[in-house]
Amino acid sequence: MKPGLPEFFNLSIEAMVFNSVAFFVFILSFLLIYFNLKGRTRIWWCLIGSYVFYGWWDWRFLSLIALSTFVDYYLGLRISQKEDQASRKQLLWISMVMNLGFLGVFKYFNFFAESFSEVMVSMGMQPGWNTLHIILPVGISFYTFQSMSYTIDVYQRKIDVEPDLLRFATFIAFFPQLVAGPIVRASDFLPQFRREIKWDWNRFHSGSAQFIWGMFKKVAVADSLAPFVDHAFFDPVSNSSLHLAIGVFFYAFQIYCDFSGYSDMAIGLARIMGFDFPENFRTPYFSKNFSEFWTRWHISLSSWLRDYLYIPLGGNRGGTFGSWFFMLFFMAIPVVLLSSVWLGIVFVSISLAVFLYARKNPDFKLKTFIYLNLMVTMLLGGLWHGASWVFVFWGFLHGFYQVVQRFAGPAFGKFMSLLHFPAWLKSGINIGLVFFFTCFAWIFFRSPDFDTALKVISGIGSFENFNFANVTNKFWVARGFLLISLLLVIEIAQFKIDFKTWILTKPAFRTASFAFLVWVIAFLGTFGSNAFIYFQF
Amino acid sequence: MKNILWIIAFFALTFTGDRLGGLVLENLVSSSEFRYSRMYRGEAAADMLLVGNSRGLSFYQPYMEETTGMSTFNLSYSAMPMNLADALVRDYFDLYETPKYMVVDVTLCDRLNPQLIAGFNCYTPFSKRLYKLIDESNSTVSIGGKVSHLFRNNGEIFQRALYYSNRLDEDWLLDREISARLMKDVQDVDHPTVELVPEMVEQLATLVKFAQEKGVTVKLVVSPYYLPFARKISNLDEMVAQVENATGLEVHDYSRAMDQAFEFGDYQHINVKGSKTFIQLLKNDGVLP
Repeated sequence: MKPGLPEFFNLSIEAMVFNSVAFFVFILSFLLIYFNLKGRTRIWWCLIGSYVFYGWWDWRFLSLIALSTFVDYYLGLRISQKEDQASRKQLLWISMVMNLGFLGVFKYFNFFAESFSEVMVSMGMQPGWNTLHIILPVGISFYTFQSMSYTIDVYQRKIDVEPDLLRFATFIAFFPQLVAGPIVRASDFLPQFRREIKWDWNRFHSGSAQFIWGMFKKVAVADSLAPFVDHAFFDPVSNSSLHLAIGVFFYAFQIYCDFSGYSDMAIGLARIMGFDFPENFRTPYFSKNFSEFWTRWHISLSSWLRDYLYIPLGGNRGGTFGSWFFMLFFMAIPVVLLSSVWLGIVFVSISLAVFLYARKNPDFKLKTFIYLNLMVTMLLGGLWHGASWVFVFWGFLHGFYQVVQRFAGPAFGKFMSLLHFPAWLKSGINIGLVFFFTCFAWIFFRSPDFDTALKVISGIGSFENFNFANVTNKFWVARGFLLISLLLVIEIAQFKIDFKTWILTKPAFRTASFAFLVWVIAFLGTFGSNAFIYFQF
Repeated sequence: MKNILWIIAFFALTFTGDRLGGLVLENLVSSSEFRYSRMYRGEAAADMLLVGNSRGLSFYQPYMEETTGMSTFNLSYSAMPMNLADALVRDYFDLYETPKYMVVDVTLCDRLNPQLIAGFNCYTPFSKRLYKLIDESNSTVSIGGKVSHLFRNNGEIFQRALYYSNRLDEDWLLDREISARLMKDVQDVDHPTVELVPEMVEQLATLVKFAQEKGVTVKLVVSPYYLPFARKISNLDEMVAQVENATGLEVHDYSRAMDQAFEFGDYQHINVKGSKTFIQLLKNDGVLP
């Protein structure tokens, strides 16, 4: 906190989030000047604003983002100038090494160092190094992926190189989506700098609507669920099974509203400023299968992983060396960490059997590679979220779900058709199953370690004191269910009512709905310095 | 121009709705049977004032009144810090004739809790002292309460007032028995301590002096912990000594006085059955009249 200011105006470093007073002061002053500028001056203003926004957290990391920008800008130019494939590839590798190197050092160094130490200790050796005190630069995973996608696209000649450093730097650092996405592709974003941007009331209305809706999700829903979830996961042993089950259920909505709320605010802000960002969430908990879930959840990341990882690995067409390499790497990890020879033997036997059978059966081989590619993509997607094995396991579960779905989905479909249920009930069952297994995976995502996750699962599974009397903090529960119901009612209504058009064409509806959301936020929102969950990624 | 007018309409609607909604909620709070609503409404006159955090709820009023023959009013609330209790007690003294007795569970000195204090924003229309306390502990909340009257009622305390809108809260106490899992896991609990906040202990001492000057008999107690858990708390005696030094009053320590598991709801709270035993112990020892 900075001394000498009343707390209300005390714009603490942690407070520069979309739901803070500091940000409102920032954005109002920013927009006031922004719409009075034109051409390159406006882009300069955007860049300055973005660097101020990012530097508010930690100005030291501005150098990192600037370095990343300069190097990828330069490499992009060089790649476009080279004609021979080998030189182009070389330059692409430099970009990859630098970007992944930053991620490796700042995000994963301690994680791998600790894991390697554990392995050495388990083998009776004493590692001779310590972990380093490294601060994770906020949003590094997002802007690194954005920057990488640019050089890959230039290398693959999917986009033209951006010759203007100012535009490129603003694309990398653009503050609405800098720290927690959505990950915007250069092909979508860079051309937008070339069009003339004017104040547009329609953009203002629809952007404000999306911003307030995001604010509702974050401040009213996510932050109101957070205390109960924290309580459940902090000490799972002391909580009854129903308490833990509600904690997991609430977490599913907390993380959804936290992250999609941020995305909505980012997209809304960008729209007011004259930029169009792609949708990042599309009511994911209404998905009827896991493939659909990943086309509705964190769409910008899942499409990034699809285009830059899954497809290069072979995708649905088959496998590559990379598929086997990553899969063996991930299989080796539990074997080494658990020092389990038996697990190793099981993995090797399965791999050999699969390998030998696949050699004789091309159809099986293709399917195996598709499953491998899926698993690898989801495992790396899990690791992207955080430097912890629980995230990797979360990715594994989602990969596993998709493999099982592809494997057993047709049989399950036939079974369901035999039951002659009405269509709405079938959909309901599918949605319920996807939600249930997604919640199961969230347990690992939310837990700080496997021990906590297992305690939560065993606590719920014990069904001990599975009644509402044994749920503590019932008021949090009541408030949580009320807000989730409100969220779901509005999301379901969206299927029937075109709110986006109504916002533009019915000013009375717009005014009333904005006011309603403001009242709900004021009455039921949770205010404080609750940072967004995805900032840590 | 039309767009500007609609923006003005939005602000006007938001403000009007906020004030109207705030008025409705304020009336709900005021007419509730929740303890603080009754207190500020003038319906909480009692011979004995009971003060504490969630452990203070073990002063189960029906048994207290049956055992002592005195009317009681319990100001306790889960995780209540001493500075909040101080404001409420002083408000009580302003509004009512001085009670004869005041029993305080001293473990309410174990924390500062600006979040809970902020929750009492819904009572600021009735108490300048609470407004001042909230303003001191979190000025954002006090300013927010002025800007939006709906925000003033944003919190657990309001929800509880709503919950008790048609029912008394005097029997508010855990009904459950400690689970087998908790009993088993107590062995894994790693040396818990009860750390009192020195400024809260000082505030308790000031309040005790204030009450005594008004002629109130003040009794300080530590209500029971689940015995295997209490045995693991390494600093209970130091905690008691700390309070005794600050207040100059004896602290009646019942932290290890009850050993029946079925009388506990969890490690730190007795249940309704336990409360009966506890109140009888207080009576037998002369802590209660």
